[in-house]
Amino acid sequence: MSTKELRERIELLQGTLDLLILRTLLLGPAHGHAIAKAIEFRSDDVLQVEQGSLYPALHRLIKRRWISVQEGTSENNRRAKFYRLTAKGRRQLAVETNKWDKLAGAIARILLPVEQEGKS
Amino acid sequence: MSRRKRMMEDLDQDIREHLETETQDNIERGMSPEEAHYAALRKFGNVTRVKEETREVWSFVWLEQLWQDVRFGLRMLRKSPGFTTVAVLTLALGIGANTAIFSMVNSVLLRPLAYREAQQLYLVREIIPEVSQTYPTLPANLPNFRVWQRECHSFAEVAIVTSTGATMTGYGEAEDIYGGLASANLFDVLGIVPQLGRTFLPQEDTPGKDHVVMLTNAFWRDRFQGDPKIVGRSISLDGMLFQVVGILPASFRSPKGDQFGALTGFPLRTDYFKPLGLDPKQFSPLGEFNYAAVARLKPGTGVGQALAELNVIQARIAKDAKQGLGLRAEIIPLASQVVGTARRGLLLLLGGVGAVLLIVCLNLANLLLVRVPSRMREAGIRTALGASRARLARQLLTESALLAILGGVLGIGLAYFGLRWLVAVAPANLPRIDEVHVDARVLWFTVFLSMLTGILFGALPAWRVAHAEPQQALKAGAVTITEGRPARRLRESLIGFEVGVGTLLLIIAGLLTTSMVRLLGVDKGFSTEHVLTVDVSLPPQRYTKPEQKEEFYNNVLARVRALPGVNFAGWISRLPLEGQEQVDSINVPGRSTTGMQTPLANYRLVSPGYFQSMGIALRQGRLIEPVDHDRHVAVISESVAKKVWPGENPLAKQFHPGGDEKPLSEVIGVVADVRAVALDEPPLLMVYLPAGPASRNYASLVVRAAIVPAALGTVVRGAIRSVDSGVPIRHLRPMSEIVSESVGVRRFQLRLASLFAIFALLLAALGIYGVVGYSVARRRQELGIRMALGAQGSHLRNLVLLQGMSPVVVGWVAGVMAALAAGGLIRGLLFGVPAQDPLTIAGVTLVVLVTAALACYIPARRAMKVDPMVALRYE
Repeated sequence: MSTKELRERIELLQGTLDLLILRTLLLGPAHGHAIAKAIEFRSDDVLQVEQGSLYPALHRLIKRRWISVQEGTSENNRRAKFYRLTAKGRRQLAVETNKWDKLAGAIARILLPVEQEGKS
Repeated sequence: MSRRKRMMEDLDQDIREHLETETQDNIERGMSPEEAHYAALRKFGNVTRVKEETREVWSFVWLEQLWQDVRFGLRMLRKSPGFTTVAVLTLALGIGANTAIFSMVNSVLLRPLAYREAQQLYLVREIIPEVSQTYPTLPANLPNFRVWQRECHSFAEVAIVTSTGATMTGYGEAEDIYGGLASANLFDVLGIVPQLGRTFLPQEDTPGKDHVVMLTNAFWRDRFQGDPKIVGRSISLDGMLFQVVGILPASFRSPKGDQFGALTGFPLRTDYFKPLGLDPKQFSPLGEFNYAAVARLKPGTGVGQALAELNVIQARIAKDAKQGLGLRAEIIPLASQVVGTARRGLLLLLGGVGAVLLIVCLNLANLLLVRVPSRMREAGIRTALGASRARLARQLLTESALLAILGGVLGIGLAYFGLRWLVAVAPANLPRIDEVHVDARVLWFTVFLSMLTGILFGALPAWRVAHAEPQQALKAGAVTITEGRPARRLRESLIGFEVGVGTLLLIIAGLLTTSMVRLLGVDKGFSTEHVLTVDVSLPPQRYTKPEQKEEFYNNVLARVRALPGVNFAGWISRLPLEGQEQVDSINVPGRSTTGMQTPLANYRLVSPGYFQSMGIALRQGRLIEPVDHDRHVAVISESVAKKVWPGENPLAKQFHPGGDEKPLSEVIGVVADVRAVALDEPPLLMVYLPAGPASRNYASLVVRAAIVPAALGTVVRGAIRSVDSGVPIRHLRPMSEIVSESVGVRRFQLRLASLFAIFALLLAALGIYGVVGYSVARRRQELGIRMALGAQGSHLRNLVLLQGMSPVVVGWVAGVMAALAAGGLIRGLLFGVPAQDPLTIAGVTLVVLVTAALACYIPARRAMKVDPMVALRYE
């Protein structure tokens, strides 16, 4: 019983993480650590991503050819892998964002009346 | 380097750098290096798990899981060797038997004939409506064939062929060889390219230019050691020289028996072919129907269209002949004629062997279902830990697939030997038996069958386990006192199904057996006990005059009759059950033959002593005696008397044997009817004439003795040799062997059908035993409590028996009903027994119920012996 809910939650999280990564890379190529920092910073630390979980997600995106990887040098002159959004990834980001907006809107509409009932 | 490997190495580096950067950041925020390192690690999470998850992104998860399942499955199978052995062996037997039978079906029914574009080949038969009651269709005749060749535009080409024979001399010992007399275009029509040399030329059909032969591959190898230089040389046949112009390829199949239509009667082995060399003008358009005609239809021409055109031609031929007889034609696909009645029998066997495999599957499903409860706990734990149902089902299906693959591999091995055995025991006249082999289609069939089997018997248990409720499975622990009702129902219905299929198979096998018994017990009209037959043929170059032949036959009779133990001996031109020969009309003077049914009879030439030797009873008048040797007398069979002179005394009646131009013969005796073609075909009209001056170059000696024929063989052979050692003896065999060979196909079908039925019964019994035994073991505690409360052992035994037998009875009823319903399908294979024979059904019922009761009784007795104390303490 509980397994099902757990699984759905993971899926939601995974999808969300993918979306966040794509969105971050829209600003330009970045290395792993920088992506993690950017997500934390931009969400005002609300989303506490376990930094490690970034990597399976990155590889999933590489496999789907939504992002590509190349060698580069980080701001503090270290050799690092830079992840870059591909054209396909850019298209996918639009799709995913759209989907997310719809989902968020739907959830908001569902949740709203409950709050109102609670207030009255 | 694989992409996966490269990506994983990159990942290591990436993670290292990530951690170093984070550590560096932390140090910049004022942590100590050690503190900074641990903080970075904490924030990153479990490095190993991250790596594992990333690896999964790049791996074929299902493949790895499959490999896991296979390893786990193999471990499970190893853990229960008894179950595994039973499962793999029964599967191997089931799949092996199916593969073997399918190989036969494939070679005999599915593969096209070994001729070019064989689906375009058709047999052309002629129909004379006036005789169609006795002979529905006839082979073709020579003059009509020439007309078709000229005028029928639906045929791309048409050829004719009939059997012939000759004595070959000049190459070692004189030898009788069998041949085909064919129109020159036969091999072009069949699309056969010679291995060496050429086929016949059109002009070689004309008399005088026909002294050429083609040899079959087997004969060329056996007799000439495959010497290619034989092409161009001449061989001596019946004292005349024939040039060998070509060698046929090994893949060429000569027609055998009636494969090219009834009344054509080709030998089982053909050694050579020779062109016709006959002038069609010498033949009547309404006689000498001796040739198998093979036509190749033009592409796009329908059978109906060809037949319509041909019938117009036939009508004109009949009109021109002015004999008052009609003439039509029939066109049938060559393939269906070649396979003939073997089709139904083979399909029956395929159905039977398929049913056996079904029982194997049901049994295994049952055995696996029995093991389900012990797997429930495991499944419950795995489900609780997050395994999906699909994953669990896949695990179980992998196990059954493993069993099926093991069974399939072993089964192919068994099929290989089984097929060799089948071909060895199959009667030689089973069509295309020499073409039977395992090809790619058979192997694919086996692979597919194994997979299907695995899914079939694995699906139900897999479904049950996958739907295990984790709480229940874990709560119940290992102890469940009584089994859930649905689980028991399921297993009982499987048993019922098995018994039903087994009963059906047994009834079919029983009907075939009854048919065989009836067939062998049929009134043959002759007796086979202590009867020896010898086929001889006189070399035509030395035996040219009738007196020479008569002298040889008489001398042999005298010597053989003088042998100790010999009671009677006599000659006949063709033995009973060896097929029709010399079919001709019975013309009674004064009766018009036009527009009326002229009776057609099989004529046989016999010597005095033949009827006594063969044990054919005299009904009226007298038998042929030595004084009759040059008289025009005839002995007729009872059917002739009834047909030609109904209600009259046939004795002293006169008729022309085979045409008004023949001298009148007087009926001197009436003998019993004999089955001349096959035991299951009603007797034909038979007319026996004294051989005398009409003696031929071949005949069969029939010897009735007081001793067993086997011991007689050598001395009879010696007697014939002493008359003329240059006369080849073709066959020397007891009459009983001829009878036995004539029912060879039936015996073969019966043998296999019985084998399958018995196998099915044993499997069903095994299934019943397993289920009842399991139920007793499971209910030990319950039975113990009942016993402790005062139940009698015999009472408990009967309880178990009753529960075990109830699905059996249901299955038996279903099986009998299925057999009654399926009666129409097998009627054609039966003889002298109705498809709903109550005696057979009763017999099968007895066998099924007794076997099932025995399978129940053994474990039921164990129920009686349950010790209440032990049973209660158990667990």
